[in-house]
Amino acid sequence: MIGWKKTARHCAAVALAAVGLVTGPVSAQTQTKIGFNVPLTGFAAADGASALNGAKLAIAQANANGGLGGKPIELVVYDDQGIAKEAVPAVTKMIEKDGVVVGVSGSYSGSTRAAASIFQTAKIPYVTAYAIHPEITLAGDFMFRVSAMGEVQGRAGAKLVNDLGKKKVVIVTIKNDFGQALAAGFKEAAVKFGLTIQNEYEYGLPDRQFGPIASKIKADNPDIIYASGYFYTAGPLVSQLRSAGITAPIIGQEGYDSDKFIEIAGAASEGVYVTTSLDRDSDAAATKSFLTEYKKATNAGPDMVAASSYTAVAVAIEGLKKTGGKGGDALRDAIAGLTYDSPIGKLSFNDLHEVAKDVQVQIVKDKAFRRHSVISDPVLLAPPTKKK
Amino acid sequence: MLYVELIAQGLVQGCIYAAIALGLTLVYGLLRILHVAHAALFTLGAYIGVLTTNATGSLALAFVAAMLVSGVAGVAVFRLGYQPILNRPPFVALIASIGLYIAAEEIFRIVFGASGLSFVAAPLQSQVPIFGGLQFKQAEIAVMLGTALIIAVLAYLQNRTRIGVACQATVSDPQMAESFGVSLQMVRDINFFVGSALAAFAGVWVGLLNNLVEPTMGSVPAYKALAIIVLGGLGSVQGTLLAALTLGIIESFGTIYLGKVLDRNAIAFAFLIAVLLVRPQGMFASK
Repeated sequence: MIGWKKTARHCAAVALAAVGLVTGPVSAQTQTKIGFNVPLTGFAAADGASALNGAKLAIAQANANGGLGGKPIELVVYDDQGIAKEAVPAVTKMIEKDGVVVGVSGSYSGSTRAAASIFQTAKIPYVTAYAIHPEITLAGDFMFRVSAMGEVQGRAGAKLVNDLGKKKVVIVTIKNDFGQALAAGFKEAAVKFGLTIQNEYEYGLPDRQFGPIASKIKADNPDIIYASGYFYTAGPLVSQLRSAGITAPIIGQEGYDSDKFIEIAGAASEGVYVTTSLDRDSDAAATKSFLTEYKKATNAGPDMVAASSYTAVAVAIEGLKKTGGKGGDALRDAIAGLTYDSPIGKLSFNDLHEVAKDVQVQIVKDKAFRRHSVISDPVLLAPPTKKK
Repeated sequence: MLYVELIAQGLVQGCIYAAIALGLTLVYGLLRILHVAHAALFTLGAYIGVLTTNATGSLALAFVAAMLVSGVAGVAVFRLGYQPILNRPPFVALIASIGLYIAAEEIFRIVFGASGLSFVAAPLQSQVPIFGGLQFKQAEIAVMLGTALIIAVLAYLQNRTRIGVACQATVSDPQMAESFGVSLQMVRDINFFVGSALAAFAGVWVGLLNNLVEPTMGSVPAYKALAIIVLGGLGSVQGTLLAALTLGIIESFGTIYLGKVLDRNAIAFAFLIAVLLVRPQGMFASK
């Protein structure tokens, strides 16, 4: 009796597997799929929500314009919680089960680094939206990145300090890939500009209480503070620095780039500089149209994460249009050869598939990000190239 | 002057740790459960605090609402979550507790959104100059005064009222207490109510200090409070208080002088290991 049941179960399993084999490739052929790993739960869920909004907008616009050869493009979304061990099964699934022809990372550096080598091994192009760790594009020639790397942004920060006429700097660094990369770039360029780094303090991602650091910085009495973080750490940090009576200007980076930062820090956010890739006061058609369309679609204020994710997905679609939906080597070469007008500037990839572009400096004025200046220095802001 | 400021900042943090860890130590003392989900009630309190303040403009009302809601939720956690598994080995309750905390974190995210909530007009944010350039946020001073007050009230209730004495009796010998007519159920309910209300009290203050409450805000307190109650000598109220304040101050200095070698959140555990090597019964344990 038991044997019979077992056999029946085996038969059912084989039958199901056969159905899977038949339907799998067929559905993959009918619709072009773009894989998207993004932190929808966990510590980075807020950025993940913005990233997904941006990606969805790019897909909706492409599909409204006829999709790919008249067929709609599908976005296959997986939650990676912003951590490597969740990203690995997620992207393996999207490659093996869903049969995506191209992947896009709407996630942080940790998870994107883990996903990168899987895409590289499968020879599927992978476009990174806003993860800034250098290792990502070093995973191989199928990797692309649409945002400026951490070191580059750090160098832009040092130039901004110099442009503002300040000399004595205190650095506050968030202890992860993002913060380390920014600090490394900043310190490298600080030497060039003759800046004095008085002190550097580090904090962890879960920290929201910066009272002790604020007390110490007050004693250091710097001209300016270069502090890395995300809006949910930067909001409390900036507010607590001001509470301690510190009046020195503060420079943040694209992690601050969210209306939520202004909401959390309140009045303390006024006058904070942010080096980022989205210029709210841009005259460029691509940026202006993104800003209006995003607001219309989501009823939320656009931020850097949304703009970068939108751009990464749009770049993938642009490449697919060139190959007529074909993936692999053809798609890699198509994306590598693109010049694309995006909301975060005109993009073209170098031999390491990194982009060279200006860094936008925004300043918080009357509870909104406004243009302060643009850092344009092709030598200082040059992304790394392939090691020959 | 810097040292004075660092000590004061450590005390602010220590008071928050104390309010969270007290509830945990009450539960441990009574039931021998490591109540990780306590941190979910801390988060719940913080959310209720922000929502009530934004809706009514009254911070006092926010504290009352947060402490009541979390208190009742704490009793519900005990009745529905722990009571049915009380006769199982302690790790069963611990696992249930961890599961409950993770589920709660996701519920907060689904209900209130991933990016957290802030006060529309955060109260107690202005600066109070003390002396010699030293200045504090009103909220920072209020945390210290508020925690001292609430602990004093609790100490009074515990030592001077019938229910308080009944609670103490139950902790030291539940069977004997029951034979003297103490209702175990009532003592346990009160314990969870008071402990959870204290966590909510801490939650509202953290929300005020950071102007941000998030689904994951309980994840660090969830395990750090466990370290604190071990340091304080599991189940000892005075020990927990001292351990919380000491840890607050050590962290405050550690952030500045050890920040590059040791993460702030690792300091608690390094300290824990160091103390347990010398005094395995905990820093302030009487036994």
